[in-house]
Amino acid sequence: MSDAGVRRGKPASLWTRIALLVQYLVVSLIILLPLLWLLTSSFKPSAEVTRYPPSLVFQPILDNYVRLFHTLPYALYTLNSIIVAGGSTVLGLFLAVPAAFAVSWYRSNWPATVSLMARMAPGGLYLLPWYIIFNRLGLQGTYLALALTHTVITMPITLYIMSSFFDGIPRELIESGFVDGLTMIGIVRRIAIPLAAPGMVVSVILTFILSWNYFLFALVLSNINTSPLTVAAFRFVGEGVTDWGMLMAATMVLALPPLLLAFVVQRWLVQGLTLGAIKG
Amino acid sequence: MSALTSIAGTSKNPFIRFLTSPFIWLIAPAVIFLLVMIAFPLGYVLYMSTQDFLVGLQATAVGLRNYLQMLADPVFWIGLRVTFTLYIISLAAQLVIGLWIALLLNRNFTGARSLRTILLSPLAMPPVAVGMMWLILLDPEFGPINYLLKVLGLPNLLFLASPHQVVPTLAAIDTWQYTPLIVLILLGGLRSLPDQPYEAAVIDGASNVQQFWYITLPLLRPAIITAAVLRSIDLLRFFDTIYITTQGGPGTASTTLNIYAYKSGFVFFHMGYASALMIALFVIVLVMVFALSLFRRSVQ
Repeated sequence: MSDAGVRRGKPASLWTRIALLVQYLVVSLIILLPLLWLLTSSFKPSAEVTRYPPSLVFQPILDNYVRLFHTLPYALYTLNSIIVAGGSTVLGLFLAVPAAFAVSWYRSNWPATVSLMARMAPGGLYLLPWYIIFNRLGLQGTYLALALTHTVITMPITLYIMSSFFDGIPRELIESGFVDGLTMIGIVRRIAIPLAAPGMVVSVILTFILSWNYFLFALVLSNINTSPLTVAAFRFVGEGVTDWGMLMAATMVLALPPLLLAFVVQRWLVQGLTLGAIKG
Repeated sequence: MSALTSIAGTSKNPFIRFLTSPFIWLIAPAVIFLLVMIAFPLGYVLYMSTQDFLVGLQATAVGLRNYLQMLADPVFWIGLRVTFTLYIISLAAQLVIGLWIALLLNRNFTGARSLRTILLSPLAMPPVAVGMMWLILLDPEFGPINYLLKVLGLPNLLFLASPHQVVPTLAAIDTWQYTPLIVLILLGGLRSLPDQPYEAAVIDGASNVQQFWYITLPLLRPAIITAAVLRSIDLLRFFDTIYITTQGGPGTASTTLNIYAYKSGFVFFHMGYASALMIALFVIVLVMVFALSLFRRSVQ
């Protein structure tokens, strides 16, 4: 902590620089080594995974992935994850974009409050009544039920991100739309949305990640044919597998898409996870 | 100004004006969705908590009996203890480590930027995947962590398989995944600190430690509390990583309230009792967030 006070400018001494480098390496290794182990194991024959010391140089094989997609319906699970995450992202966009514009234009504050409240409740609080309701409606296990429930996650985030992008549009531009005789809907479609297009991209990527990662709702509301990768992974672990190579391949299939997407939206990821409590 | 009339609506009748104002039409889809998916279910779950309700059977009204049963249920109290133990260990570890890494990253040196990017990886991963990864890493017999301990001459541990080690192990997994969130929040706070107090401190001959203790830490307090509030909301509802790794076991050693409520509802199908447990958990989260907000106000 001795370097806490020294903040900017001052050239650091050699020893300080070495101390910084060591701390930097420690932090990086703690984060990266488990991920490296996960990555390499998924490309090793299963017997090789538990061989110690672990081999760093080895012939990578795709065997685990091939078996994952051939002996288990992993193509279907992947498709299910894409349908649920994609569906809830699109639905969230349709619901939240007009609302975000209204919130931004009229400088309303309630969405932040509602989103925060919705985020504080344990998911199970909604899931118990949903389970009864979806069963009564015969929607249990359908993509519709899954996409609707995941929209509860995607909509508040889209609302927050889009309203902060709409805040950045000069008010005169919107007012000029009124002068030209456009309706409110016309203004949203022709002026606001094109100007806030980068916000749409950020919202889509971010909500897709968070919906893809979400576990609890599908754990109860999906069936064997509609379960996304998270739930498939849970069943896989529950069967007490000893095939670690294949298990790590399953983990990779689940974790890689959000990891790659996260680097596209970097600073917005933190904002999405904190629902705007922090400006990145 | 003609633009503003079209925004406000034109009728004299306030109700018609309300209905025809574009604001209503723009927010209507979102509001209807929230009413159907959030407000109605919340009312329904309150009702469910007053019912003796086994899935498939007729529900009978029991008033507050589910809540009384909860207070007499030893597993509820175990759940409460596990929830708070996990919460306190994780939050303390994450705040201390998070502050350390944030201070480290606030220094200008080569690599600070790449470390920031590295920090995002655990945050982006699904907790389910993180749980699966650590389940294998921490396997008592064949896992690489125990191999590492053996190489270092340390005794092997049971980790998730031991009733005594499971809670600290879960706290460590959560710390691995979510400390980066705290780092990035605190880093935002550090970047916005004013320069003048430090310049004055240097003139007065204050040491680095003194500067940290008397300037950085007090000024950073709002950001620290914000981070604590956000982590509290998630930690009190800790579910995914536990459910994928131990399902609350061994025995009830890692059965948090959320795990217990989930199992009551969806494994044993006591929907009424599960509703009461979920509501209790929600109240606990609200109370903790409220308390932390009061604390933030008192230190500002």
